[in-house]
Amino acid sequence: MIALRQLLAAIGKETRLILRDWHALAILFVMPVVFVTILSLALRDVFTERAGVRFDMLIVNQDGQLVGKKLIDAFEGDKHFRVKLATPPYPDDAALAELANSGRYKFVLIIPPKATEQASRRASEQVSADGQTRGKTASVRATLLADPTLRADNRSMVLAFTNGALHAIESQLIAERIAALARTPFGSSTVSAPKLAAPQLFAEVGDPLETAGRHGAPVPTSVQQNAPAWTLLAMFFLAIPLSVTFIRERAQGSLLRLQSMPVPDWVLFGGKIVPYLIINQIQLVLILAVGVWGLPLLGGDRLTLGHAPAAIALLGLSASLAAIGFALLIATLARTPEQASTFSATTILILAALGGIMVPKLVMPPFMQHLAGFSPFSWGLDGFLDLFIRGGGVRDILPEAGQLLAFAIACFAVALMRFHFRLRHN
Amino acid sequence: MTSAPIVEIANLSKTYRGSERPALDDLSLRIDAGRFFGLLGPNGAGKSTLISILCGLFAPTRGQVHVRGKDTREVKSMLGLVPQDLALYPMLTARENLEFFGRMQGLTGARLRERVAACLAIARLEEFADRRAETFSGGLKRRLNLVIGLIHEPRLLVLDEPTVGIDPQSRHFIHESLRGLHAAGMTIIYSTHYMEEAEQLCDDIAIIDHGRILARGSVLALLRSHRHGAIEAHVEADLPAALVEALQQLPHLRASRIETRSFLLESDRPEATLAAVIDALQRHRIPLASLSLGAMNLEHLFLSLTGTQLRD
Repeated sequence: MIALRQLLAAIGKETRLILRDWHALAILFVMPVVFVTILSLALRDVFTERAGVRFDMLIVNQDGQLVGKKLIDAFEGDKHFRVKLATPPYPDDAALAELANSGRYKFVLIIPPKATEQASRRASEQVSADGQTRGKTASVRATLLADPTLRADNRSMVLAFTNGALHAIESQLIAERIAALARTPFGSSTVSAPKLAAPQLFAEVGDPLETAGRHGAPVPTSVQQNAPAWTLLAMFFLAIPLSVTFIRERAQGSLLRLQSMPVPDWVLFGGKIVPYLIINQIQLVLILAVGVWGLPLLGGDRLTLGHAPAAIALLGLSASLAAIGFALLIATLARTPEQASTFSATTILILAALGGIMVPKLVMPPFMQHLAGFSPFSWGLDGFLDLFIRGGGVRDILPEAGQLLAFAIACFAVALMRFHFRLRHN
Repeated sequence: MTSAPIVEIANLSKTYRGSERPALDDLSLRIDAGRFFGLLGPNGAGKSTLISILCGLFAPTRGQVHVRGKDTREVKSMLGLVPQDLALYPMLTARENLEFFGRMQGLTGARLRERVAACLAIARLEEFADRRAETFSGGLKRRLNLVIGLIHEPRLLVLDEPTVGIDPQSRHFIHESLRGLHAAGMTIIYSTHYMEEAEQLCDDIAIIDHGRILARGSVLALLRSHRHGAIEAHVEADLPAALVEALQQLPHLRASRIETRSFLLESDRPEATLAAVIDALQRHRIPLASLSLGAMNLEHLFLSLTGTQLRD
């Protein structure tokens, strides 16, 4: 009970100190909002393709013959794709959709069973010796699934590439058919010209998001990318004022005085954590509000938040705890406020760059993409994209929230150990 | 009068990481309840380390510290610490500082309000109570720093050089406040390197250097035990080298400290030494400005024990 009252007193004191330092408050609230607004507006029309993009692509070749092989050759031969071939038994449609939705693969191409046989039969029907359609074999329907976080221009590019590859195969099959007809004793004079112009051996592959049945899902825009990215950065930048306050308290001797009192260490830490946790949540709400209501007023895209407010809250809290844990860790490692602010700023920017805040992970080389997996920014950003773009819920962001919480716990543990170590072994 | 000990320190040693020399070296000390105890020593002598361990801030490398027979970390509420630095929040008002530290000491409600009012009164800060500490003068800050340590009415008040860098009026005020608290029965441990402070305030002192206690006892007893044979002289011209040599070679000398225009000699036979000193001064025609025999003050004692070499 006493400890709880002490905690409340510590929270009250910290809140007063924060509220009276309006410069720091301005940095914490105004800067990220301005940043998100400017970047979202500035990048709205130039959120365009970048050179050197390589997409992870899973090809489910259920055909195994000419059509399948040609399609695989086409994708493997293009430097923009890193192709992985699915091996039997093939996952069902739902599992494949999940592989794309989760971002595990940027694209999944499903080639239906007996596609070659079906396309050849249709070629025979469409290009007949007597100009009559003698069968009703349907067009082969390949399916392309895409990671919903991909930009529309990237999707269109791959869609066009896929249809182009199918047209090439179609041309080959038609040519072979005509050649076969020409070798018949009756010659080729009666080849049906209209059918030749549009044989439609393959159905046009549709927009991957439409294919995935995601009608009405938000299309990735600059604000969808920027709002969570810069919110995370703002949250982590809290490390600077928090660690500086902590070190100043130590330098001024007030921490020493508190340590001479019957106050548990967790109260000292708790007194810092709670007010800054609240600040982080206000930052999150403020930036999301600007995305939802402010940017459309300025002519920008509207931020779509998905359908899971509880998941946003969970992810926000997890990211905030990770940021505060990181701040306390720096506070216990650094000796001076200057050290703390320089180290915080540098480390945060490195982790942010690594985690895809400034440059999307998609355009990073594979080695860097692998490294990105170690950045808490990457976990947070993936979580927010799960919610805002993939329309996920609490269950979908549990891995990311778990990673952030584990990071927070590790930071708290090391900070506490360091705090004790200094006390005991100074 | 023999009182029960409030602080018992046994064979205390502390060596900081990366340091070869111990800050405290097998130090033992007993402080009786109700005493005004002065801890004297030059910079780096180990005073602040001793206070930090006493207040449970650091763990010793070896040895034990008990307050009222218990480990210091178990009796933190019995102690009030006034650190050397201004341990307060500049952006909070004087009242908010007192309320915050009071709550951290477990005070609430009417008791807290009563103690805040009492502390503001002790420090005569009533009219500044609702002003932020960052707007205070150095003296006001020191006074606030002092009474924060009193907010929970500790039985043992530990002050680490609380009057460093303040004006004589504020220093006098702090001295008067401490005398009042001592008279009311509070045990006070007062670390300082201002000798006149220790002489004026303390019942007992310990002179500490290089982590060891060099002398320990009441101020009077210490002066009495060291005052015999002390001859201090101030002269009106620079002492020539020949005279310095002559003074150093006087018979019966235990120790000597000779400056440009003054010297302090400790002799086993002060009367004989005094006659020889006067004779030597006359022979070298050096006029005498002042001369004292046997009146060693605490500063003389301190310097004769710790030496005159600069420490930092």
